[in-house]
Parts: sequence; C-alpha cells; structure tokens
Amino acid sequence: MERTAEARPIVEVKGLGKSFGAHKVLAGVDFSMRVGEVVAIIGPSGSGKSTLLRCLNQLEQHDEGSIEICGIQMRADTPIPRKDMNALRRSTGMVFQSFNLFPHMTVLRNISLPQERALGRSRAEADERSRALLDRVGLGSKADQYPARCSGGQQQRIAIARALALDPKIILFDEPTSALDPEIGLEVLAVMQELAEGGMSMIVVTHEMHFAETVSDRVILMADGKILEEGPSSEVMRNPKSPRAQQFLHAVMNR
Amino acid sequence: MTLDGVLLIAGGIYWTLVVTVCAFLLGAALGVPICAMRVSRSRVLNAVSVSLIVLLRSVPPIVWIFLLYFGLGSGFLTINPVPAAIIALGVITAANMAEIYRGALSSIHPGQWDASHALGLPVWSEFFDVMVPQLFRVTLPSATTYLIGLLKDSAIASTIGVAEIAYLANFLSNKQFHASLQIFAFAGALYILISLPLAAVARDADARLRSKVAQ
Amino acid sequence: MSQTLSFWAEYLPKLLSGLVISLEVTGAALAIGIPLGLVAALLVQSKSRSVRWTTLAIVEIGRGAPALILLQFAYFGLPSSGLQLSSMGSAIAALSWTTCAYTSEIIRAGLQAVPRGQNEAAMTLGLSRLDALRFVIVPQGMRVAAPALLGFAILMLQASALCFSIALPELLSRANLIGTTTFRYMEILMLAALLYAAICIPATILVAVIERRLGQHTA
Repeated sequence: MERTAEARPIVEVKGLGKSFGAHKVLAGVDFSMRVGEVVAIIGPSGSGKSTLLRCLNQLEQHDEGSIEICGIQMRADTPIPRKDMNALRRSTGMVFQSFNLFPHMTVLRNISLPQERALGRSRAEADERSRALLDRVGLGSKADQYPARCSGGQQQRIAIARALALDPKIILFDEPTSALDPEIGLEVLAVMQELAEGGMSMIVVTHEMHFAETVSDRVILMADGKILEEGPSSEVMRNPKSPRAQQFLHAVMNR
Repeated sequence: MTLDGVLLIAGGIYWTLVVTVCAFLLGAALGVPICAMRVSRSRVLNAVSVSLIVLLRSVPPIVWIFLLYFGLGSGFLTINPVPAAIIALGVITAANMAEIYRGALSSIHPGQWDASHALGLPVWSEFFDVMVPQLFRVTLPSATTYLIGLLKDSAIASTIGVAEIAYLANFLSNKQFHASLQIFAFAGALYILISLPLAAVARDADARLRSKVAQ
Repeated sequence: MSQTLSFWAEYLPKLLSGLVISLEVTGAALAIGIPLGLVAALLVQSKSRSVRWTTLAIVEIGRGAPALILLQFAYFGLPSSGLQLSSMGSAIAALSWTTCAYTSEIIRAGLQAVPRGQNEAAMTLGLSRLDALRFVIVPQGMRVAAPALLGFAILMLQASALCFSIALPELLSRANLIGTTTFRYMEILMLAALLYAAICIPATILVAVIERRLGQHTA
C-alpha cells in the first residue's frame, strides 16, 4: 500500500449538518482528504454515511457548514451557482448501490452518452474511450448488450467504467457491493483496488471490512450522524478507542 | 349570457342526474351476473361474457344510443329518449362494472376463502359477511371514477333529445349564437362542478373504510 | 338477410370513406395531444406555482368537461369570439385537448414509475436536467405508459363519433345521413357499429397482449 499522496486537499468538510424534517442525520461533521487518498466510511446503518456522501456531490443539499471539493466552495447558506454545480458534477463520479445503469440503452451507450452530452466528445471519440474502459474492467465483449443481460457484478463494473469515462478527479462509492453476493462483490472490489493503486481519489461507503482495512488509506467510522473515529485504516480497525466503536467493530468483525 | 340562460341550462342538471344515476344502477346490477359468468368454470358462460364485454366496449356509446333509439325506433320498437339513453349507457356500464368486480375479486387474498371454509361458514354467509364488505371497499374507488366518467358520457343523451345540460346548452346557443362561447363554457363547468362533490364523497368514504380496516 | 347484405354492400364504400375521416381525426388528435400531454405532465411538476396551476387547470377542464361539450365549444362557441374553425379544425382542437388532459395523467404515472436512482445517476454523470429528461427519464416513462396510451387511443377513436354533433362527415354522420334517406337506420347503424368493432376489438386484444408481455418482463 505504498503510495505518495499529494498534500493538497481534494475534499474539505467543515461543520457539516443535515436534517430530514425533525430528524438530524448529520451533525458537525469535519474531515478532509488529500489527492490520491482512499477513504473508507464505515458504521452501523442509519449512521449518516450515505447522506454524507450524497451531500458531497449535492444529491442532498446540506443545511449547515461548508464543503469544498476539487476547489469548488459550497456553503449551506448560499445557493450554488449553476456553473459550480456543473463543475462539481464533472469532477466527481458516483457509483451507486443499485448500479443505476440506464436499462433502455446498450452498455456502450450507457458509457458514451454522458461523455457526448457533458463533455462534448464526438460519438467516435466517446465510443473509443468507452470500449477501452470496458476492456479495462474486463467486459469488452458486453459493449452491445443491454444491462439486463449482465450479472449484478458486471453491471457494477460497467457503472464504474461509466463514471471513469468522464475523467473525474474523485469517485464516490455508495455501498457498491451491498446488492451483490459476496463472491460477486469480489470482482467489483478487485476493480476498485486497481483504481486505488492507480492513484484515484476515492471515498467508499462500505460494509466490506476487509476492503476498508486493506485497500483504504484511512477509515472514518460514523455513528448517529457524527464521526466517531478516524485515522489510518489498521489503527481504527484494530485499536478503536471509544466503546461505541469497539462495540460496532466487534459486532461486524466476528460475523 | 343572461341569468335566464344560466337557469335554463342549470335546469338540465335534473335529467343529467337521472340518466347518470339510473344507468349506473342498471349497470351495477347487470354487472353482477356478467361478472359471475366471467369467473364461472363453464367455458360456454365464459365465452359468452367475454364476447359481451368486448363487444359492448368496442362500439362507441353514441352508436349504441343511436342503435337503440333510431335503429329500434325505425319500425321495430319505439323507445322514448330517456329510457333509450339509460338502457344504452346502463348496458355499457354493466360490461365495465363486471370487469371492475372481477378485478376486486382477484384482489382478495385466496386465504380469505380458505379461512371462511375452515371456519365452516355457510356459503351465503361466506359470501355476504366476508366477501361483500371487502369487495365493496376495493370496488369503491374505481366505481366512483367510472361514475364520474359516466356523468360526462351522459351528455351524449342530448343527441337524441334528452333535455339535459348539453341539450339545453345547444338549444340556447341556437337562439343566442353570439353568446355560444359562454354558454358552452358554463355547461362544461357544470359537469365539473357536479363531479367535484362525487369525487370528494368517494375519497371520504374510501378513507373512512380504510381507517376502519386499519384499526 | 340477403337484402341486408346487398344494402350493406351498396353503402359500405360511403361508410368506409367516413371511417377514414374518423381515423384521420383520431390520428391527428393523438399526434398533437400526446406530445402536449407529455409537456403537461412535465409542467405540473414545475417549481413555478403559476405554471403548475395553469397546467392543472388545462388538464382538469380537459378531463372534467365532456368531450361533446368541448367539441361544441370549439365549433359553435369559438366563432362568437371571432375564431372560426372548420368542423375538422374544431374536432382536432377539441379532441387534442381531451387527449392532452388524459394522457398527461397516464404519462405522469409512467414518469413516476422510473426509479429515482435513474435521475440521480444522470445528475452525477453531468447531464443537464433537460438531457436527463430527454435521454433517461422520458424514454423509460413512455415505455411504461405505452399500453395505457394505446388503450386511450381506442377510446379516442370511439370519441371521434361525437364529431357527428358538429357536422364532421365521419363514420357515424355518414351512417346517420344514409339512415335519414333510406329509413333503414337499424341496418346502417349496425354496419357502422361493426366497423368500429372491427378496429377496436383487435386493438383491445393487442393492448392486452402487450400488457401481459410487459408484466412478464417486470416480474
């Protein structure tokens, strides 16, 4: 896991808060990460992990605090200009638990269409890039199939290729293997590990403790909308300090 | 458009309601045997009811009304406009209600039949005490939607001379051509106004029946 | 019986040319009304309250008022405000309005059936809101709505018979005219009914087949 992460922060979150009605999902979340880092966010369900991730790319708007991602400033009290929103969406990629491939398009169109519409690439350019990425995730032969004809693991690898096609500076993974059988999840995790080794900045919300421990540089453990512990992966995973963190890790590691 | 005109057209509400309500009641009753045939095990009865339903739904209501009024009226059997409209719309309603009943029947969990068998309930009690209340609840929303649709369909009774809203609007428009725009706008608004309380009553009844079940 | 058949044979061409007009009106109303219905389905979700309310009003009037009244409003009513439409023009205008109103509800239900994740994926892939609708949401929503839209098209062909009341020489008008000259109402109306049924019955079966096939795919 030797890698030289640059010192420049790619994500800087300060005092982040988010409520759904009266329910406070995130409160006072602070963290930052550097370019090239891989951060795993773990914690019990309902701890606010996914909401945190979705605030980062503004699928949810935060109510408090500020987020800076790839140099784009987003404060809860000021509306985000359209220009910044476009820049945000272009520099962050996202991979969903439920893949969210477009079922009415072929695998190739799934990857090429966003390149054409968001980056203005020509059809030929986009297709060339798409095919190269499909080869990279080991699915070159699936280009002309529809997503429904692919297994869950294949669909998720296609979704990763689709995110990569836009050359994002950071990719957010929202429980990418939770909808998959454990063995199938491994083929997705392998692709993610390769990305991590290639120096991609990644934030991964996950229940895969092995991935969190071995692939990520840093682990953030959340509970009840707050960051409970954070630090180098092996340290947080092996020697949690707070009793709540110990309890959670004890429960998941002994499954 | 004068106040007299407003009152004249509003007077058509009576026949609009008579045609709508009578056709609905006729259809709701006739729908039961058609539905029974549709779900029966006899192939023949099945085929009869399916052909009946498809045929009734595949010919425009206005054509059915004309067939009854002008067709039968041309030397076979003279029917007055009001009964002709009620029978034509009622029979079409029967076909649609049969399908609504059938949808309701299939939505009731088979466990309910099993349970009432297991309880040893007599067949009539099984049907009237267990099934009918449930059927009523499931049927209510789609039946009301249909009733509101029927209210609008009743306007075609004007074409054979039933003095309901659309007929009177036409009558007045012929006399006061310059006011036709307001006349037909008012007539259209009347239908919407009548359907509003119907929809509200249905929503209310539906909510009340639901909350009973929820407790 | 043979009398009836020879009578039918004699007048069938006239009825068929009326049927062509019925189909033209229906086709035009659908071709204009369904795209408008899509627009209305999108506009009722608009953030602007005035846009939302205006759209709702258009839809609710189109659904709430009988098609017969809308037809007469367009044909007899509009001229009194200075807008003179032919019977064909009024028929297309009124039935397009009805189509827009009903299909906007059908299409809205279809759009709502598209999982939220599809829109989220489109957003995170940098598609604009319009692009997300155009390439992702609308194609999927329309697919869901297709059987109901086809079912509605059948009802629309039946509704075209109402154009009889505004002197459009469509199928029912022709049958009625033949009835008044020959006094053989029963036979000519039966032939008209058969012609409607000849189109609507196969179409109904087709809709049922498509519905069943779509049901199998989602199950």
